[in-house]
Amino acid sequence: MSRREGSLEDPQTDSSISSLPHLEAKIHQTHSLARLLTKYAEQLLQEYVQHQGDPFGLPGFSPPRLPVAGLSAPAPGHAGLPAPERLRLDAAALAALPPLLDVVRRRQAELNPRAPRLLRRLEDAARQARALGAAVEAVLAALGAETRGPRPEPAAAAAAAAAAAGVFLAKVLGLRVCGLYRDWVSRTEADLGQLVPGCPA
Amino acid sequence: MPAGRPGPAAQSARRPPPPLPLLLLCVLGAPRAGSGADTAVISPQDPTLLIGSSLQATCSVHGDPPGATAEGLYWTLNGRRLPRELSRVLNASTLALALANLNGSRQQSGDNLVCHARDGSILAGSCLYVGLPPEKPFNISCWSKNMKDLTCRWTPGAQGETFLHTNYSLKYKLRWYGQDNTCEEYHTVGPHSCHIPKDLALFTPYEIWVEATNRLGSARSDVLTLDILDVVTTDPPPDVHVSRVGGLEDQLSVRWVSPPALKDFLFQAKYQIRYRVEDSVDWKVVDDVSNQTSCRLAGLKPGTVYFVQVRCNPFGIYGSKKAGIWSEWSHPTAASTPRSERPGPGGGACEPRGGEPSSGPVRRELKQFLGWLKKHAYCSNLSFRLYDQWRAWMQKSHKTRNQDERILPTGRRGAARGNGAQVLPDKL
Repeated sequence: MSRREGSLEDPQTDSSISSLPHLEAKIHQTHSLARLLTKYAEQLLQEYVQHQGDPFGLPGFSPPRLPVAGLSAPAPGHAGLPAPERLRLDAAALAALPPLLDVVRRRQAELNPRAPRLLRRLEDAARQARALGAAVEAVLAALGAETRGPRPEPAAAAAAAAAAAGVFLAKVLGLRVCGLYRDWVSRTEADLGQLVPGCPA
Repeated sequence: MPAGRPGPAAQSARRPPPPLPLLLLCVLGAPRAGSGADTAVISPQDPTLLIGSSLQATCSVHGDPPGATAEGLYWTLNGRRLPRELSRVLNASTLALALANLNGSRQQSGDNLVCHARDGSILAGSCLYVGLPPEKPFNISCWSKNMKDLTCRWTPGAQGETFLHTNYSLKYKLRWYGQDNTCEEYHTVGPHSCHIPKDLALFTPYEIWVEATNRLGSARSDVLTLDILDVVTTDPPPDVHVSRVGGLEDQLSVRWVSPPALKDFLFQAKYQIRYRVEDSVDWKVVDDVSNQTSCRLAGLKPGTVYFVQVRCNPFGIYGSKKAGIWSEWSHPTAASTPRSERPGPGGGACEPRGGEPSSGPVRRELKQFLGWLKKHAYCSNLSFRLYDQWRAWMQKSHKTRNQDERILPTGRRGAARGNGAQVLPDKL
């Protein structure tokens, strides 16, 4: 049994013992954040469809699921991946979302200039995605796992092209991005939930 | 002023739609290879139209597999399926639509016109903007807070209902020289207002107007010409205090401080006081309070809580000939009049300086006082202070008479009760 006097203790053992509560707290905290943002993402979606007009928001409305550059929906097999891989994908998606949400906000500022709450929610969503992504990366780092790969390129080209797109297409694109935001924060909440002791898988 | 100029509606209707497959590539990423998805395009894309006008649109289907035809396609507008008789098949791949007498757009982001495949899936969409050009804004009014800024408000023409997003821009320039400037801080005091915070000149006129613009045209208001000094307002007077006047049950004294931002310039300021009984919504206004910072309300009900407010008009500032603009009312200040067993008089007014009687009840009492003086006159120059002392004495003696009714059957007070004569005070 090693003594605790001086600095002869294995610092790694020491830090892993003392950091475990910290890691758990960090996971709890990030999980709570993800749960809150899932609620906000639902509210954003509702606010968004309200301002685009029918058929957006009508039951059974099924627009084309257009691909979005640099981001796709969580894959069906996502839940079966190891925890670090799931969190890595979550972090990558959360990093890709802010520039796309900014593009949507700019277009909506032209289409719905008198919808300040919608515009504010879009701005908040970009900021919240960044914050949650950073928190997930911190959890990954604390777990000793590699964080995500290279950052996605800024959506400058997407912004320019989106500005030129027809209005209906822009509305559909915005709905798609808001939907992806909701899907990924919800996915992140579920993935973190599996790491929280006592939380149902 | 000229009527609204024609907007870009015709140009919008003639503009060719952007090629959809290219947009999908640039905005949304490369389409999945071999998806075989049909694509279509609606023409015109995002047209702007006048209310009551007609629209001819087409939905042209592209792509594979062969067999994707216009048969079976249908239209919806804002989620509602359009009657079949409004559509017709132009050719194998194109379905046409004819809409007449269009109503104003339901939402500012545009009405959603959608082309559907037979199975209901969405092939293409276009947003319609149906509305009216703006009418001339009018009724511009402006005010300057303490000569430091300028806030203007206006009324949009036709109550602003154009069914399209309409942008309002407040412009201003110095009348004799200078360039047009555009106000930047909007919606400061309501939806049609703007605030110019700085860099304003005094003693020289400005020209101010509002331009309204939407997809269908623009309109300009009449020009308002003003000098900042003619539209000055200020903060409400601070430190409003309301207090009793000794034991007088029908009076309250109101004191306030000149608004600090302009206190060195308010040579001719006017003030107004308003007051109301606690459980009433009806304010009484006292108008004649020029350039004083105190006033006495008289003729009030005894034993009653009153709320009092004061406001200021800085007219005549720097020699301006025009009436200034009243400030907001100060925060309400409350005080109560002393209780009395006598029924109090009904209305009230501010008692001005100089001792002139003001309204009915006060006048009656003063008349009694003067009558009493004639009988016992031994001083000619009287002030209201002396009058107040007399009233306080009258009140006190009335109370004492009521209290002593059973206690003092004889004596001076009892004798006074007996014959109805007023009791003299020991000293004046």
